[in-house]
Amino acid sequence: MNSMIGRWLVIGLAVVGLLGFATFDSNEPETEGERIQRLHESFACPQCDGQSVAESNAAVAAEIRNSITNEVADGATDTEIRDQLIAGYGGDVLLNPPSEGFSALIWILPVVVAVFGVGGLVAVIRRDDGGSRTASDADAALVAEAREQS
Amino acid sequence: MNTTLGFAFTVLGLSASVLGCLGGAYALITNKTHLLKPVRQWAWLVFLAGVGAFVVMEVALFQRDYSVGFVQKVGSDATPPLYNFAALWSALEGSLIMWTLMLGGYIAAIMLKFKERLNDPLFGWALVVMLAVSGFFFALLVGPSNPFVDTAIPANFVGPGPNPLLQNHILVAFHPPMLYLGYVGFTVPFAFAIAALITGRVGEGWLVETRRWTVAAWGFLTFGIVLGAWWSYEVLGWGGYWAWDPVENASLLPWLTGTAYIHSVMVQERRGMLRVWNLSLLCATFSLTILGTFLTRSGVIDSVHAFADGAIGPWLLAFFAVVSGTSVGLIAWRGDRLRSPGAIDSPVSREASFLANNVLFGALAFVVLLGTVFPLLAESFDGTRLTIGRPYFDSMARPIAFVMLFLMASAPVLPWRKASNELLSERLFWPAIAAVGSMALAIILGGRGFYPMLTFGLGGFAAGAAVRQVVLATRRQGWRGFVGRTNGGMIVHIGVVLLAVGIAASESYKTDRTETLLPGQTMTVAGNTFTYEGLAADETSQRVKIFANVRINGDEVYTPGTSLYLTQGMNVATPSVKPGFTEDLFLVLDQVPDDRNPEGPVRLRVVVRPMITWLWIGGILMSVGTLLALFPGQRRRGTEAVSAAVTEPVPV
Repeated sequence: MNSMIGRWLVIGLAVVGLLGFATFDSNEPETEGERIQRLHESFACPQCDGQSVAESNAAVAAEIRNSITNEVADGATDTEIRDQLIAGYGGDVLLNPPSEGFSALIWILPVVVAVFGVGGLVAVIRRDDGGSRTASDADAALVAEAREQS
Repeated sequence: MNTTLGFAFTVLGLSASVLGCLGGAYALITNKTHLLKPVRQWAWLVFLAGVGAFVVMEVALFQRDYSVGFVQKVGSDATPPLYNFAALWSALEGSLIMWTLMLGGYIAAIMLKFKERLNDPLFGWALVVMLAVSGFFFALLVGPSNPFVDTAIPANFVGPGPNPLLQNHILVAFHPPMLYLGYVGFTVPFAFAIAALITGRVGEGWLVETRRWTVAAWGFLTFGIVLGAWWSYEVLGWGGYWAWDPVENASLLPWLTGTAYIHSVMVQERRGMLRVWNLSLLCATFSLTILGTFLTRSGVIDSVHAFADGAIGPWLLAFFAVVSGTSVGLIAWRGDRLRSPGAIDSPVSREASFLANNVLFGALAFVVLLGTVFPLLAESFDGTRLTIGRPYFDSMARPIAFVMLFLMASAPVLPWRKASNELLSERLFWPAIAAVGSMALAIILGGRGFYPMLTFGLGGFAAGAAVRQVVLATRRQGWRGFVGRTNGGMIVHIGVVLLAVGIAASESYKTDRTETLLPGQTMTVAGNTFTYEGLAADETSQRVKIFANVRINGDEVYTPGTSLYLTQGMNVATPSVKPGFTEDLFLVLDQVPDDRNPEGPVRLRVVVRPMITWLWIGGILMSVGTLLALFPGQRRRGTEAVSAAVTEPVPV
């Protein structure tokens, strides 16, 4: 029993250690190129049905890419770039919907579903045994036949 | 000639479906068994009509018979034979012909499979349901989207040909048929589920009957989706393989509920529980294939590859309402017979894991559906236009996927009913070692970052559990340890792990760079050099391709370009990919000089994606595992007709 706990302690420590190392060893500050790429990936090309401007070959995507690159060079913050693009191209330039007004529902509903899902799971697992355990003869015959065939 | 013959086949399909469906229902309700025989003849005629319509349309395409409306829409003198064959499914009407062909094929297949039980009401009702579905699709072909319209041919007409994106890669010949075999295949278990509800034989019999059909349909759908991702990667030139585009989501939705079903059905077979849930999942899966067809074929949602055609939208929506309404009504009507006879003893058990699996797949299906239709809802609510894109879907799917990977490790080692801590500790030890080992290996190879490392760890854990099962099974049963549902399923799990690792590595460690190069100049991306050696062109009767010669690492030359399809005047990017087991080098020609001046600068985009090949290997392994799961395995215990208490001690 004790050896079992010890064994899993070692495994747990190894997992935490490796995960921690992999997480913090990579925490170099974001380069300007990486920041531009991240921003390109977070805005939609207005004419390409949900493709990001990083992925699209359309002219308007190239225009947005250039404007992001220029803004970054001018030292704008992410929020400033975001607001500027919304002002210029409308709210659907955001690939990630905003969390205010009606569109907040898209963030709230999954949480509601998750709560109900987990609640339902717990309820079913705790449910008492009820009902009968008899099958009709027809069921048994079907199973017998299916067994023969397989 | 072709128009008349083809239209005659669709009318035959419609009439045979309707007559068979009504006649069958009458015979079954009034218990007149002798009236069932003509129903089967009608069913064979439906099969014949599906094959006939398909053959006529293919012949018309090859004859370039532009008097056929659909051929005038997608045919062309310049299309090479393979893409001309595939042109049948390059637009809405033809894809409906393929749907009826496959449905007719499935109808014929179940009649052969059940040929000794043709008078069994369960089978009879299933056939009636399938004929009702085929009647609907033939009605679409006869009415609102008739491909065989007799059309006047304009002078000097040579045809536009299929969408250029659908004629520059061999995968176009395989991805849609596979996907459709999956969609249509779910009609079989759905029909048996409805038949079980109507006849009241809602025990486990119908599940056992349709098990292989469901697994086969799931396998086709899986393979079809993976092929689609592969096609998107090789052809579309945007540097990725999955865009969370509405059409992709529409194929993922039934896959998610179908995957939930093939897991939870094992709880019902083994313990007799979850009857209502399983019936609902199956009906939901079939309804979602119809809803997906509606969303992507009615023009309500714009998508890169939706065939917009408003005419059939209301039909599909009405059919969706009928299917889901009938399912819910029948389940409610049979509520008393569906009460589950068992209960779950412990949260640490196989059945509880399957339930948790179902909650996860259900939640993911909900999120995907919500994200797909939400722009529509928002716009009709207050006129807001918004985009739900990759960041939203990624952030929702990621946590769910991690818990799924964890369950893939723990569930297969858990026994039914309940497990002790000692048992868990013993069975999970080697999978846990595999988890630690794969994380350590990833770090040694230079992998960093929380999410990818979590994927590698959980992937190793899940693969360890799957390998453990297959090793134990082969030790006990020799080669049979690789076949059967449990062992084949574990091969599928290993495929899923490879796929997850491929996604994590290729997304987290990708490098994406665009530079403007003059001939002779070199760019360096992630340790690889790309030397631009000049512009060239290649002309066929179908297209003109302008491409850049790019020498990679001073070795082979790759040719990313753009192709101008002459008949449609449409420019299509043709990326060039250097695949490899450790990394793919993906080249796109972003911009060529306006005057095609060979001395001018080009803009070259290079995406380096590590380990993406493992995504395709994983997908292929999932299909192989599905095939293995279809072989009869050796059961240690037979299927129990009802849930009986397990009295023997749990084997270790």
